[in-house]
Amino acid sequence: MATTDQSGRWHGEDSEVNHLRGRAFEATCLAATALGLVSVLILLLFVANDAFRPFSADIGWIATYAVTVLVPLAALTVFYYRLDDPAGEVAYVTSGLPVVGLLLTGGFVVLFTELLTVLEWFALVLSLAAAVGVIVAHGRYRSGVALERLAVLVLAPLVAVLGAPPVEFNYFVTDTAAALGLDVGLYYRVISLREAIMMLPFVPTDWMMLLATLVLPVAGLGGWFVGNRRESRRDGWTAVGLTTVTALAGLVAGPLVGVGVEGWLLLVTFVVLPIGIYVEGVVRRDEGRAGLVFPVVAVLGVFVGSLLVGALGFAGPEPWLDWGFLTSAHSRTPTDAGIYPAMVGSVMMIIVIVLSTFPVGVGAAIYLEEYAPSSGWMGKFVTLVEINIGNLAGVPSVVYGLLGLALFIRILEWPQGSVIVAGLAVGLLILPIIIISAQEAIRSVPDSFRQASYGMGATRWQTIRQVVLPEALPGILTGTILALGRAIGETAPLLMIGAAASVRLAPNGFFDVASMMPRQIFSWSSELDPAFRHGVLAAGVITLLAVLLVMNGTAIVIRNRYQRQE
Amino acid sequence: MSTETSGPDITSRPSGRAARERMYRYVLLLCASLSILVTLSIVVLLARDAITFFGLVNPADYFLNTEFLLSRGEFGLLPLLSGTLLVTVISAVIALPTGVAAAVYLSEYASERMRSILKPGLEILSGIPTVVYGIFALVYVTPFLQTIGLPVNTFNIFSASIMVGIMIIPMVSSLSEDAMSAVPDSLRQAGYGMGATKFEVTTGVVIPAAASGIFSSFILALSRAIGETMIVVVAAGSRARMLNLSEPLQNLWQGFQPMTAAMVQINSADSVSQLGFSSMFAIGLTLFVITFLLNLASNRIAARYREEYE
Repeated sequence: MATTDQSGRWHGEDSEVNHLRGRAFEATCLAATALGLVSVLILLLFVANDAFRPFSADIGWIATYAVTVLVPLAALTVFYYRLDDPAGEVAYVTSGLPVVGLLLTGGFVVLFTELLTVLEWFALVLSLAAAVGVIVAHGRYRSGVALERLAVLVLAPLVAVLGAPPVEFNYFVTDTAAALGLDVGLYYRVISLREAIMMLPFVPTDWMMLLATLVLPVAGLGGWFVGNRRESRRDGWTAVGLTTVTALAGLVAGPLVGVGVEGWLLLVTFVVLPIGIYVEGVVRRDEGRAGLVFPVVAVLGVFVGSLLVGALGFAGPEPWLDWGFLTSAHSRTPTDAGIYPAMVGSVMMIIVIVLSTFPVGVGAAIYLEEYAPSSGWMGKFVTLVEINIGNLAGVPSVVYGLLGLALFIRILEWPQGSVIVAGLAVGLLILPIIIISAQEAIRSVPDSFRQASYGMGATRWQTIRQVVLPEALPGILTGTILALGRAIGETAPLLMIGAAASVRLAPNGFFDVASMMPRQIFSWSSELDPAFRHGVLAAGVITLLAVLLVMNGTAIVIRNRYQRQE
Repeated sequence: MSTETSGPDITSRPSGRAARERMYRYVLLLCASLSILVTLSIVVLLARDAITFFGLVNPADYFLNTEFLLSRGEFGLLPLLSGTLLVTVISAVIALPTGVAAAVYLSEYASERMRSILKPGLEILSGIPTVVYGIFALVYVTPFLQTIGLPVNTFNIFSASIMVGIMIIPMVSSLSEDAMSAVPDSLRQAGYGMGATKFEVTTGVVIPAAASGIFSSFILALSRAIGETMIVVVAAGSRARMLNLSEPLQNLWQGFQPMTAAMVQINSADSVSQLGFSSMFAIGLTLFVITFLLNLASNRIAARYREEYE
C-alpha cells in the first residue's frame, strides 16, 4: 500500500506487529501470577500428606474410596463447571454449611464443657433479655430524656447480670478499707437477676433450658428470615414450628444416635435449620438445583466406601490428624499429643475480640463515614484519624504484642499470657482492618437511601440504625470474618504477651493462662523429633488452615451474594 | 406568636431527641478517637522503656556496635539490621517483579473467569498465617534446598526470605492492579490508535502511567517484609551476625536474626536482665519508626496517583 512507505512511519512498524513477543509476555505474566499459588499448593500437599498419611493405607483402601467418593465428585465438579454454573455455587454452599454448622456446634459444646454450665448460660441469657426488655420499654414510654436513658442503658444490664453493687466492687471497697485498717463489712448487696435465677429451688432440666434460650431464639430468627423472604408470616411460623418439632424429636432420637439430647438440640439449631432454609430457597428459586446432589453423593460415597472396605478387609491409613488429636492435650509422646486446649484458647480469644473490637471498630467506621465533618479543626482531626488508621494497619504485629505487654501486663498487672490480654492485644491489631472494611461497606450504601430516610423525618441516628446499618451489614460481616481469620493465625503478639507454650487443661475463665492454636503449633515447630516435626506439627497446621478455610469461605459466600444483589 | 403555637407538634420533645442524637455522636466519636489513642500509647509506652535503655546504653553504642549478644550485654543494632536488610532484599527480588507481572496479567490480560479464580487465590496467599509460612520454610523448603545441593544450614535466611517473598506477592499485585485499573481507558485507546500492540500499550503506556501506584505498593510490601516476625523466628535461627561483605553469597546460607526475631528471643529468654528487657523496647521503637515512615511515604505516593486520575 502506498500509505505505509517511508513518509508515514507508524509505531510498531519496524517489528512487523510481533505476536511472539506479546504472547511470551502474557505467558510470563500468567506464570508469575501462578508462581506463588502453585508453590504454596505444593507445600500444602506435602503438609497434608504428613498429616493424613494416605499412603500408609492399603492400596485397596485408597482405590475403593477413589471409586466411591473421588470419581463421582470429580465428575460432578466437571459437570457444574461446564454446564450448570449456578449449581456449582449451590454445591459449594450446601457442602460448606454443614461444616460451618458443625464448627459452631463444636464451639458451643466447648463453651458448655469448659466455661459455663447450661444453668449459668440460661441465667445469663434470661437476665440479659430482661435488661433489653427494660431498655426497650423505657425507650417506648419515656422518650426524650437523654441522661436518664444513658443511665438505664448502663445500669439495666449491670444490675441484671452483676447485681448492685457488683461483687467486684464490694471486694474492692472492702479490700481498700481493710488496707486502711477499717472494717466496713460491705457484705450486703442486691443480688442480680442472674444469681436469683441460679438460686431457684427447682431448675428445669438442661434440655429445657437449652430449648428456651438457644433453640427457640435461633429458630425465631430463622422464622423471621423465612417469613420476610416469602412475605408470609404463616410460613415463618411454620419454620419455627418445624424446627421446634425436630428439636423435640431429639428427646428420643438424640440418645439413640449417640449425641445426647443436648447435642441433638445444638445440631438442629446450627446445622439442620440453616441447611433447611438454604435448600428451601434453592428449590423455590429453581436455580442450580443440581448442586444439591453434591453433598448427597459425598455422604453416600463415604457410606458405601466404608461398607466395602469393611467387607474386603482393607486397612485404612493411620493419620496424625484424627479425633484423638483434636480432643487431647499436648503430650511429650507424639502419638498422644493433641491440640484441644489450644483450640479452646483460640475460641475464647475470638470471643474477647468480637466483644471488644467489633463494636468499637464499627462505631468508628460509622462516625468517619456518617458524622465526620470535612472542614474546620474537627475536619483536620478526622483526616488525622483516617491517616492514622491507615498507618496502624501497617504496624508490624510484634509491635502490638509489645504494646499488650507494656499496657496490660506491666501497667494494669493482668496475668501474663491470659486469654483477655491475648484477645485485647490481637483485637487492637485487627481494629484498623475492621474499621477500614466497615467504612467501605457503609460507603457503598447509596446516598439516595439516606435522603429518603431523612425525607421521612428520621433523625441521623435513626437513619443509620434502620437504613444504613442493615444495608451495610453483609459487607461489615465479610470484613469482620476475614479480620477474625487474621486474628486466629497471629502468633507474634501471643509470644510477646507470654501465652503458654502448651497447657494441659483448657482455660476456665478469661483471666486464665492459655495457649492458642498458632502458639501451640509454634512450640511444636521447635521439637527435633521427626514424629513431631513431620506428624504432629503437620496435623496442627492443617487444623489451623481448615478453620481459616471455613471462615474465609463463609466470608466469600456472603460477599458474593451481597455483590449480586447490588 | 399564635401561628407558632397553634400548629401540630410534629417533633415530640425536640430537645430530648437532640440530646440523644448528640450522645450517639459523642460515643461514636470516642470510638474513632481510640485509634489515635492506640498510636499514642504505642509511642509513649515503647519510648518509656527505650528511654530507660538509652539512659544506660549510649545511643551511639546501640546504633554502631557490631555485636548483639544478650549474655554479654552487647546491644548493637547493626547485626539485627543486617538480618532485616537481607530478608527485605531477597524477598523484594522475589516479590516485586512477580507481583507487578501478576498485576499486569490480572488487569490487562485475564479473562473474567481467570480473574475470578486467580484473585481469590492470591488473597488466600495473604490469609495464610505467617507461622505456617515459617514452618513451610523450616520443614520443607530448607531440606529441599539441601537436596538440590545448596550449602544451606538448618536455619538460614534464604528459605525464610523466599517465604516472606511469596507472602508479600499479593500485597504488591493487588495494590499495583488497583493502580493499573485506575489508568483511564482513553490512554490505552490512544495507544491502540497509534497502532501499538497490546504488549506495547501495556509496557509503554499502562505501567508508566501507574508507576506511582506501583511504587507505593513496593514500599508497603517492603515495610511488611521488615516487620515480618514469625517466618524469621521459626526458620532463620537465633544467632545475630553482621553481613559478610567479602563473600556476599555466603550470607544467604547462614542464619541471621532480624530485629523482629531478636525481640521475640529477648522476651522468651529464661532469665534476662532489666537492661536486656528494655533493649527489646528500643528495638521495637526503631522498628515502629521505620515501618511507620515507610507506610506514611507509601500513602502519600498513593494519594498522589489517585489525584491524577480521579
